Amino acid sequence: MVLKINNVSKNFGGISALTDISFSINKGEIFGLIGPNGAGKTTMFNCITSIFPPSSGEILFLDENITGIKPHKITNKGICRTFQNIRLFSQMSVLENVLVGGHSQSHSGVFSGVFRTKSQRNEEEKLRSTARELLELVGLSEFEDAVAENLAYGQQRRLEIARALASDPKLLLLDEPAAGMNDTETADLYYLIKKVQERGVTTLLIEHDMPLVMRLCDRITVLNFGKKLAEGTPEEIQNNQEVIEAYLGSEGDDDIA
Amino acid sequence: MLGDLINPYYLQVGSFIMINIILGLSIYITLSSGQLSLGSAGFMGIGAYTSALLTINYDLPIIVGVIAGALVAGIIGILIGIPSLRLTGVYLAIATLGFGEVMRVFLVNWESVTKGSVGLSGIPQIGRELLKFSRDSGFSPMSIGLKNNQFVYLMVLLILVIINILLIWFLIRQNKSRVGRAFAAIKMDEKAAEAMGINITYYKVLSFAQGAILSGFAGALFAHVMGYISPADFSYHRAVDILIYAVFGGSEVIWGSIFGAAFMTLLPEVLRFISEYRYLIYGLVLVLMMAFRPQGIIDVPLLQKLHLTKRRSKHGSKN
Repeated sequence: MVLKINNVSKNFGGISALTDISFSINKGEIFGLIGPNGAGKTTMFNCITSIFPPSSGEILFLDENITGIKPHKITNKGICRTFQNIRLFSQMSVLENVLVGGHSQSHSGVFSGVFRTKSQRNEEEKLRSTARELLELVGLSEFEDAVAENLAYGQQRRLEIARALASDPKLLLLDEPAAGMNDTETADLYYLIKKVQERGVTTLLIEHDMPLVMRLCDRITVLNFGKKLAEGTPEEIQNNQEVIEAYLGSEGDDDIA
Repeated sequence: MLGDLINPYYLQVGSFIMINIILGLSIYITLSSGQLSLGSAGFMGIGAYTSALLTINYDLPIIVGVIAGALVAGIIGILIGIPSLRLTGVYLAIATLGFGEVMRVFLVNWESVTKGSVGLSGIPQIGRELLKFSRDSGFSPMSIGLKNNQFVYLMVLLILVIINILLIWFLIRQNKSRVGRAFAAIKMDEKAAEAMGINITYYKVLSFAQGAILSGFAGALFAHVMGYISPADFSYHRAVDILIYAVFGGSEVIWGSIFGAAFMTLLPEVLRFISEYRYLIYGLVLVLMMAFRPQGIIDVPLLQKLHLTKRRSKHGSKN
């Protein structure tokens, strides 16, 4: 088991964004987290990555309790994410963005960086070759010197994935990677996520593009109003009456779960 | 003859430019991790007083005093930097400006040690010490056709130029390394930087402390070039001057604050012949700058046009 969420709740003031959520992700899976807008999906990501810790409950990563530890330590342990509203280092080059992603994979400090010791040069060389390999994986090799903010929207999303992969995560969290993409780009994204899976990376995916989610995911958890509505394989979810009601609405029923 | 060409006044202006460039670098390096610190004048004062007091009272060599001044400023920088982490943008600017004023008031009132607002005089000067040293080793400035004061100012300038080259080299190298990338990442998006595994507490305090060390270092050099310091040298006005180096020259690239420091030191001197109006012109230049080039004179596109930087491309890959 890569990730285990145990009874996680998150309150903002009096509003509970997440209530008693539990699920677990197996190694190598592509696990979907879906639900209508405001269901608490991104809040779940923020709890896992400790951007804000959960109000109660615990999060286990590879059997280790990581609830509430510093965000950068989460990344060092092997969880990395992308953001729903793209958060690249917009003034940096494409390659530099991926190099920053490799921060946790390198160790050189001020003096080894300034005096370029042998180990620092080897480390930089390794970071660069990994970064170039990842750019190739996401199909951005030819743009390595471009400034990140000048990339097209879909390319920026793929760059975020490359940047996250540079930290060599065991678990990759993708927050709506297909948002704003056209059909061709979404199709490319499908193969990209599959390729990431082949590399042995487990993926937790938030996505609104249902055809994509249903084709990609091994298992899916559905959230609605901060509560867990259902969990199962894509077929089970597609046929689940409560899920259909949550998405399409139902008459006179505002407390589904 | 070499001696006729060298005007001590120009050499001294050159020395001030060099010291101010170090101050410009100090604000640049804190800005490079996205922190606007106006504490430079305060740290400068700490460095200057530390070094002056050590060399006056304990007869330590100037070089020891200067290093101690920079280190003490750095340590206080860490102590100020940690609680300031919670502050960003203009709030940090106000807090650090406040720190600078506290330092100044502290220097004014700790009379038993700092001699209050009268200031410290009789600080060993780099130039005099060098002259003494060269005499002891049997070298006379006259032998290369220089008067004593020409020799003194020339040597001081030369030393400061070398120090500046080393510092700029250090910072450029650092910028191109993992640490520089971490600073830039924090500046552009702190949350994303944290999500990439960057310990933002560590790197922000590091860059803040580096700025403090540079300010303290510049202050100590200032003390040993002037030979006289008072709390007024490290007041609010100094903090604003240093801020203007970065704002005028451009804060995106290291050459911006270097240019800003050099230009802003030179301008009042060049305009000296219209003494009454020179601060008027100085002010006008700043207003025009803010109106027409708010990012500062030197920015990335300008450097590219001048071919001073390769298109962000392979930097570091050929190291």
